[in-house]
Amino acid sequence: MNYRALVIGAGIGGMQAALDIADSGFEVVLVEQSPSIGGHMAQLSETFPTLDCSQCILTPRTVEVGQHPNIRLLTLSEVVSVEGELGNFRVRIRRHPRYVIEEKCTACGDCAKVCPVVVPNEFDRGLAARRAIYIPHPQAVPAVYRLDPDACLGLFPLACGKCGEACERQAINYDMAPEIVEVDVGAIVVATGYELYQDEAVMAYAYMDHPDVMDGLEFERLLSASGPTSGELIRPSDGKVPREVVFIQCAGSRNPEHGLPYCSKICCMYTAKHAILYKHRVPDGQVYVFYIDVRAGGKGYEEFVTRAMEEDDTVYIRGRVSKVFSRDGKVVVWGVDTLTERKVEIAADMVVVAAAIVPSAGNRMLAGVLGVDVDEFGFYTAPDAEMTPVESGVPGVYLAGACLGPQDIPETVAQASGAAAKVLVFLEAQKAKERRKERAKQGVGSRE
Amino acid sequence: MSRIGVFVCHCGINIASTVDVEQVVEELGQHPEVVYATDYKYMCSNPGQQLVKDAIAEHDLDGVIVAACSPLMHEKTFRRTASAAGLNPYRCEMANIREQCSWVHQHEPAYATEKAGEIIRTVVERVSRDEELQPFRLPLTKRALVIGGGIAGMQAALDIANADFPVVLVEREPHLGGKMAQFSGTYLNFTAAPDLLERKVQQVLDHPNIQVLMGAKVTGVEGYVGNFEVEVTGRGVDEEGVDEELSVGAIVVATGWDPYPLGRLSEYGGGQILDVVDGLTFEGMLRDGDGIRRLSDGRVPREVVFVQCAGSRDPERGVPYCSKVCCMYVAKQAMMFKERVPNGQAYVFYIDIRSAGKGYDEYVQRAMENHDILYLRGKVSKVFQDGDKVLVWGADTLSSRPVEVAADLVVLATPMTPSRQAVDLAQTLRVGVDQNGFFSEAHPKLRPVESLTAGVFLAGAAQGPKDIPETVSQASGAAAKVLQLFSQDEMIQEPTVACVIEHFCSACGACVEACPYGARSIHPVWHVATVNAALCQNCGACVVACPNKASQICNWTPTQILAMADVMS
Repeated sequence: MNYRALVIGAGIGGMQAALDIADSGFEVVLVEQSPSIGGHMAQLSETFPTLDCSQCILTPRTVEVGQHPNIRLLTLSEVVSVEGELGNFRVRIRRHPRYVIEEKCTACGDCAKVCPVVVPNEFDRGLAARRAIYIPHPQAVPAVYRLDPDACLGLFPLACGKCGEACERQAINYDMAPEIVEVDVGAIVVATGYELYQDEAVMAYAYMDHPDVMDGLEFERLLSASGPTSGELIRPSDGKVPREVVFIQCAGSRNPEHGLPYCSKICCMYTAKHAILYKHRVPDGQVYVFYIDVRAGGKGYEEFVTRAMEEDDTVYIRGRVSKVFSRDGKVVVWGVDTLTERKVEIAADMVVVAAAIVPSAGNRMLAGVLGVDVDEFGFYTAPDAEMTPVESGVPGVYLAGACLGPQDIPETVAQASGAAAKVLVFLEAQKAKERRKERAKQGVGSRE
Repeated sequence: MSRIGVFVCHCGINIASTVDVEQVVEELGQHPEVVYATDYKYMCSNPGQQLVKDAIAEHDLDGVIVAACSPLMHEKTFRRTASAAGLNPYRCEMANIREQCSWVHQHEPAYATEKAGEIIRTVVERVSRDEELQPFRLPLTKRALVIGGGIAGMQAALDIANADFPVVLVEREPHLGGKMAQFSGTYLNFTAAPDLLERKVQQVLDHPNIQVLMGAKVTGVEGYVGNFEVEVTGRGVDEEGVDEELSVGAIVVATGWDPYPLGRLSEYGGGQILDVVDGLTFEGMLRDGDGIRRLSDGRVPREVVFVQCAGSRDPERGVPYCSKVCCMYVAKQAMMFKERVPNGQAYVFYIDIRSAGKGYDEYVQRAMENHDILYLRGKVSKVFQDGDKVLVWGADTLSSRPVEVAADLVVLATPMTPSRQAVDLAQTLRVGVDQNGFFSEAHPKLRPVESLTAGVFLAGAAQGPKDIPETVSQASGAAAKVLQLFSQDEMIQEPTVACVIEHFCSACGACVEACPYGARSIHPVWHVATVNAALCQNCGACVVACPNKASQICNWTPTQILAMADVMS
């Protein structure tokens, strides 16, 4: 019997599950595939419906996870095999080399200053650049650099080596190799999150063709005070402030013919948030939102959308967009207002597509490793989604967050605590059983 | 004279690119109370923390100031570091020169440098007067109270009980099951609700760790997290009477919801026309295989109109919020109606279809396409009796035409409102409710299952409208918080709470009135104000209310604050 848990994915869902378990006195191994934790929430500017700054509420959590004595954090890592059963899983984890020794790095940044390679920064969704050796963002946990072997001029053999020379603490190790870590755990929580859809249904809106057409996460980075423009809202193409912005909801969602049949759930709310935040920065600007239904079911959500419509004069147009194209430096949007049955043409400065939520790329492979079912889209499925929504079909493997399907932060956090509860119920019950056994043994002893 | 160490963090470039950290270090190094000052790239990194530890030993420091980010971020980190080096952790403080200095003065570096020095100098005054506090240790009763025996309460109770902790489940009705006991089925399984629920009810009733008190209410709560004293009274199941005094360590509120009174929806014929019913009444008809009959004449209805948002999303009525579950249950009810009455016709009036959830959108699509349910986008303006028909007037906003349906039965998707007992219970528990009467969570994003009162957690529709899967997940989430609390052997309470300088106290009771947490009282014998450290949340309301400055916050005393103000230029 193993009193340790494995949590896969260190976004807001995985971090919550890990903290709940670790704060209850059990060890947690937290595996994250990217170089730092926090997931997509770290990329958000503000959150609905309170407009709390996302990093401000998130970073105390990432710090807590990074410093927690019961949490062993493995970044740049992936689970490659799981054997055994509830109470006794043996997990093999591949740790990809960081080429930077975590214990030695002080995140001084001397290495990045001398690195000659410039590539797009994933954290800023390509809106800013980084070096081959980099830290994803200033508040990253762990606060250590990483050398991206794909971007580096060459490691085998070493082509440049400037960063190694610049590092005073000799924290860079070019010979680091992938490593397999084996851990024994009693239960597993899967919280691998989501990605944004980038398929034909999104491309149809000139995404990729025009720099001023972007998805929701790119717009978040553009709004963020810690983003590439320090929160200044400007067009990527020419640096001008956009006066008219069109938001296209259900880009790929609710589109069984050309995209995905399901609803991505969070877009209605984040689009309303985008509209409000845009107006905070450009008070004389105008926002248009194309929608099918406005889905604002949640505490304070309906009131929030009403605020976007009434206080910020956002024009909501019920209808789909048929075409987006460039004309004279503008991004022209053609659509239909199904309420007035009229064609609509808007010559916008910027277009934001609320691209569908899809599961993380590794979901299917991990599902195979764990023996968990996925649906046709690659989301994990719970056999009884209504009554035991966090329980996978495999005893001891629990599910939380957007890896089950699109959901927002509060729902993910509550569900992650729910998955943690299942782990705690099992571990506490085992502990109680052992206590009783121990007591019985002592009882027998005293009678003798 | 203190021996304080000052550690200025660059926070990468977050601080150092605006504040001249070297100048700050040099300036602070000359302060008479500071024996050591230094700067470092990232003080929170492992080498940074080691630097702090080494300096405490080497320079025999009796106080530490880390000039870096907000205490919210790293106060815990550095207090742990100080403690590991043998220093009392409450003599380690943060000076916030990032959020309150470098970030807001990015374009005025000289001023930022000056301000950073000043911020740190004020904290020197504070640290030199900091007491060596010790955390309180409080006993912990490892038994939970769950209020409400619906699906949320039962799930929370089962999770806690399965982890081998005793649970008392209190339900106002003489039976378990809550609103779900009135449902015919779940979204996906039309007839499954009674069976699914019966299984849960049996698990609860048979569980050796769960004590069920039905026909009873929580009428009194005293005490605080870990040590609540609860009074439960009621008539019981068979008038046998319930009168219990319980000690519990944690409370889960799962009081669910009640339907909006039908009689208040008179424009929809609610309470006036017999064949206008609410969703819950229609569920009852669907539960009975032969039960879809008009209340007026017992005939099977052929034309049924469902009115969504009948009261919800209507700020004028005082229900500005969306009830979240109606779009889905109306689709379910309409499909079930079509199964029972295949030649019948169902109409649904809606504003937006909110089927956001796994498989939900596809579900409503099926209702429209495979079951020929006619969805009309628009509000209903009037419902009235016309002979034995109920006429529904509305507008189809997509074709911009008025619509009239002569219906046999009208089903109103009425708002989900907080349980009738919620307001009283909120007062008893000293837990907040929102403007609509639902229990308030501690933080809308990151603490959805906790209330702001320590030890009181929230599950299910008591917190806001939600469907069964979301309720079940959330109830388990609330159980996790209880298990986390019960995993400790005793409770450790931060000592930075209010305290009383007794010789200044006139026992006027101003602090008792000011305290929102019930942490203050007048000692009956000694006649001075006292502080219940477990209840005190360190808010400072009593400090402001006290006319004699007898009420103070430990390590935030008026002496400290005035000394800090004195060194500001």
